Amino acid sequence: MNVKHEILLIEDEKNICNFIATTLRTQDYKVNFAENAGSGLSLAASGCPDLILLDLGLPDMDGIDVIRDIRRWSNIPIIVISARTQEREKVEALDAGADDYITKPFGTSELMARIRTALRRSALAGSPVGSAQSRYQAKDLVIDYEKHIITVNGNIIHFTQIEYKILTFLSRNAGKVITYDTLITHVWGPYADSNNRILRVNMANIRRKLEQNPADPQYIFTEIGIGYRMIDNENL
Amino acid sequence: MPFASASKKTQTRLFLKNVMIPLTGLTIASAFAFLFFYHVPENSANITPIYILALIVIVRYTDGYLPGLVSSVVAVVCVNFLFTYPYFELNFTLSGYPITFLEMLGVTLLTCTMTTSMKQQARMIAEKDKLLSETEKEKMRANLLRAVSHDLRTPLTGIIGASSSYLDSRELLDESEKTAIVTHIHEDANWLLNMVENLLSVTRIHDQSSAVKKTDESVEEIVSAAINRLKKRIPEASVSVSVPDDLLILPMDAILIEQVLINLLENAIIHSQSRQPIQCYVDDDDKNVTFHVKDYGIGIDPERLNNIFDGNSYIGNSESDSNKGMGIGLSICKTIITAHHGTINARNHTQGTEFYFTLPKGE
Repeated sequence: MNVKHEILLIEDEKNICNFIATTLRTQDYKVNFAENAGSGLSLAASGCPDLILLDLGLPDMDGIDVIRDIRRWSNIPIIVISARTQEREKVEALDAGADDYITKPFGTSELMARIRTALRRSALAGSPVGSAQSRYQAKDLVIDYEKHIITVNGNIIHFTQIEYKILTFLSRNAGKVITYDTLITHVWGPYADSNNRILRVNMANIRRKLEQNPADPQYIFTEIGIGYRMIDNENL
Repeated sequence: MPFASASKKTQTRLFLKNVMIPLTGLTIASAFAFLFFYHVPENSANITPIYILALIVIVRYTDGYLPGLVSSVVAVVCVNFLFTYPYFELNFTLSGYPITFLEMLGVTLLTCTMTTSMKQQARMIAEKDKLLSETEKEKMRANLLRAVSHDLRTPLTGIIGASSSYLDSRELLDESEKTAIVTHIHEDANWLLNMVENLLSVTRIHDQSSAVKKTDESVEEIVSAAINRLKKRIPEASVSVSVPDDLLILPMDAILIEQVLINLLENAIIHSQSRQPIQCYVDDDDKNVTFHVKDYGIGIDPERLNNIFDGNSYIGNSESDSNKGMGIGLSICKTIITAHHGTINARNHTQGTEFYFTLPKGE
């Protein structure tokens, strides 16, 4: 693994650019910049980076359109950088095909963790082993997809069909935020009511079976206004 | 031009109201009078009072003198035309008829004057109220601004001072001093961020109606998200948290309520001067859900407790530096909870302070 990962950073704020670039270089990544969406898109096409960090507030183009544009021809992981209060923007970005988002301002450790997760996921998706992964494991939780068995601390826990569907979908996308709409569509189908009350109820039941303290969960985290994120799979 | 069309619309509506009410009123009165006349033909003295009653009602619910006056003329004609001999003919030569006419006109005029002045008074009172609440709002805004500028200046001074001393005398500082300076900058910047996030969250509350956009949210998810974010910001924070066994779903703006919880938790950690875990729990009754944040620290001076949510309780306070941020954070909590039609309070318990806020359950 001596080949450096290449990261394309599309961000118009000089100061933020410098700080991210410095951090990434010290962590042994190769960084390319683009100050606007136009040059970002052409750099993405010519350089084929391993990952794109995209600021949503670019001067020349809507960030959502940048994501759509890239997604037309590539599955390069995209991590969106955005401000906290704009949940709708984040949901739109995720639904448009972004892999993850990070909220401004963020610490370097958080950024590095997100980048590692995204890179690992994209490496897995490209390999035959990854698409056929048969087990999820994190802390005391194990999900065996082939046998349809979920255990915590070795004890088998029974879930309803819907709960199992939610859990497998979240765990197969572990580390990544899944928006409410994506989850509802996956579990209840495309014509399901987008009212997420029923999802909340199911999630509450799952937490009561899975977590020691539902108010302080270890496995499934809520991203308010956006969706759920399951803790990373340790079995990779 | 939306404005012109809107005023045109209200004009049409006004016109319709001033025509429809007299029309319906008179029709109903005529119908009653006719029924009465049909069943008790020998006693026609009751016909006129029915019309008078209708006139009073019409005048009460229309604007200005015109609808009332026209209605009273119509009523007089109706009585004459329909209910006095010779029927279906106008005959103003009947004895005493001018008196009936004057009577109706008099009643109409009198009621008109009375209701008009009544309506005017009501409008004046409403305007006065509006003016009062406006000044109240203005005062709140000014207080907030003052508190904000005060609170922002403190960390900014620290950041500017520390960074310029680093730049100016880099060569003279040893490693540990450098680290100390940068750590200081880091802390102050984080604190600034916290403040700005609070202020930003207030902009989610619409100015006009001070209402929030509510969606159904699960209480435990809000609590856990708040704790999660708090732990990211203050890793050493220790909080023991619990929620009821039953899932509680409440209409709220989740981001704002999360902000309130974070503010209260952070206050408890920073100001309680205690290492004991903060307790955060939720309980509910038929109508409300209450969130509690309880610390086991030094408590709060009872005098400050009274106006702790006002935002300016610490201004002019010599030890303001030690409670920096408490003022705005709490006043923002109050704004958020009030916009949710809830209440927020603080009290000292035997071993520290408890902040709690209550949100109403939806229908």
